Amino acid sequence: MKRISAIFITLTAAAVVLTVGPKLYNLISAKPESTPFTLYSCVIHDFTALYQEDHDYKFMDRCGNVYGDEVQPLFYASILASRGMLPDSLEGRKVSLEEIERNNLFITMDPRDVNKVIPPVYLLMESIPERLELQDPEEAFVSRKDGLYIYNMGDNTLQEEKTERLNADLRALGFTFPARCIEGNPTDRKDHDEGYLLTDSEDKLFRIKQTGGVIRADYYPQADSLHLKNLKITEFENHATLGFLVTGDGHLAILKENGDVTVTDVPMCPEKESILIIGDMFYYTVETSTPEGENYFALKTGTFELVDTLSRTYEKSFSMPGISFTSPLHSYVKPHF
Amino acid sequence: MFKAIIYKEWLKTRWLIAGIAAVGAGMLFYSFLNLAKVVEFRGAEILWSTLIAKDTVLLELFRYVPAAAGVLLALAQFLPEVQMKRLKLTLHLPVKESVMTGCITCYGLVVLTAFCAIHALVCAVLLGRWIPAELVSRITSTMLVWYLAGWAAYLWTCAICIEPTWRLRIVLAALLAALMGLFFLSPVPEAYNGFLPWLALYTLASAMLIFGGIERFKEGVQ
Repeated sequence: MKRISAIFITLTAAAVVLTVGPKLYNLISAKPESTPFTLYSCVIHDFTALYQEDHDYKFMDRCGNVYGDEVQPLFYASILASRGMLPDSLEGRKVSLEEIERNNLFITMDPRDVNKVIPPVYLLMESIPERLELQDPEEAFVSRKDGLYIYNMGDNTLQEEKTERLNADLRALGFTFPARCIEGNPTDRKDHDEGYLLTDSEDKLFRIKQTGGVIRADYYPQADSLHLKNLKITEFENHATLGFLVTGDGHLAILKENGDVTVTDVPMCPEKESILIIGDMFYYTVETSTPEGENYFALKTGTFELVDTLSRTYEKSFSMPGISFTSPLHSYVKPHF
Repeated sequence: MFKAIIYKEWLKTRWLIAGIAAVGAGMLFYSFLNLAKVVEFRGAEILWSTLIAKDTVLLELFRYVPAAAGVLLALAQFLPEVQMKRLKLTLHLPVKESVMTGCITCYGLVVLTAFCAIHALVCAVLLGRWIPAELVSRITSTMLVWYLAGWAAYLWTCAICIEPTWRLRIVLAALLAALMGLFFLSPVPEAYNGFLPWLALYTLASAMLIFGGIERFKEGVQ
């Protein structure tokens, strides 16, 4: 026993040294790193990277040409408008500040939010509240093996009638329980509520939304063959899209409000990549980044056809190998070398 | 014989157990009074939305209590034995020293487990009034790692007390500190779910440190 306990102490000490040592070294030798904010420009039809010059911000395209804010008139619309420099028309179309702002959108996804244990309980909002402004939800639903169960949160009671009606509606649309992926954004700090996107056990795509106290279910058969693995409800002011989806083969797909699904040529893996999507009236810039580098994709708004791409690989800085129990890619505690 | 050993352990630890129980009960009372007032003023909806949207289980006040209880219990059991040189006498009783040490350690683990089980049960019953079983289960599974930290703190502190040399005691204390860091690495609920069985196995295996220490003590290592 004495020998076994000595081995146990030695192994534990080795694990501690391999965990703490590299962590300390990497902390001491850490240097600030940043990559320039990059956006596709509808003026020059190229990606522009933001950099600082003489206390002023400039944009540079891939050929090294330098521009001011006017190269991104949609992103800096209010600044340009305040200077009286907002163009009347872009891409052959008349534009106004109001229209630009209504169509500007951005969305982020982080692997730490995807790779974590999510409780199967979801707040259920009323999408058309009596007093017009979105209110804090009073109901929630719990996803169980055999259905979705709606609770009144105030007194923790099951709303049997509503539950039965919702599950019957979903079954009538072909939903097979349990739900596999459920995604919504139940906050009152948004323009409007679109409820939840959800996939069933056969990866078919549905949406549930509460309007006037009644929960409506919709089915989107166009997504049937996509084997969706990630969903993101958008709820943008311009109602241009209902959700961003990631297909089973790892591509970004766009779900429109009318149920049309467009699969894009943008490869995407929300489990491993940080994702930033900035969209405007003419183009969407999609950024996917990993610890190794980042990729940019420009998509034409509306058709979502890929018009340009850009890749950057980060300089490899020496990082001492060791054991780590956490990761920027997930929210779990587990050892990895 | 075992009844007598357990009675002796009870005599050594009864006031500490009462103290730990009082602190635990006080913290529970405070936490639930707080939650009850939140529910009274803002409705139970706020508990649901906080548990769903934020990385909290609402009972973080209790996070370090099992670990502290484990350390104190081990000190109460083994410090008098070592300081007053009673351990030698205990090991000379007509029972195998591994069985004797196992019995003393089991007593501490049973006390800790009972304390944690009562805490988990009370939390589950009280929270069940406001939130569904799925959220109660999320809270209790998050608390499992706090309870396990109590076991680890207890076993390692026992080993530190029994260890006859100061040099190894310091090493063990440093390793215990690092180990405690691992147990409280992430505040994200259910972050330890997948790793917990392995951590539990490791914690149980650390009981061998106590038996190794007893062997070294009997050999008269200085």
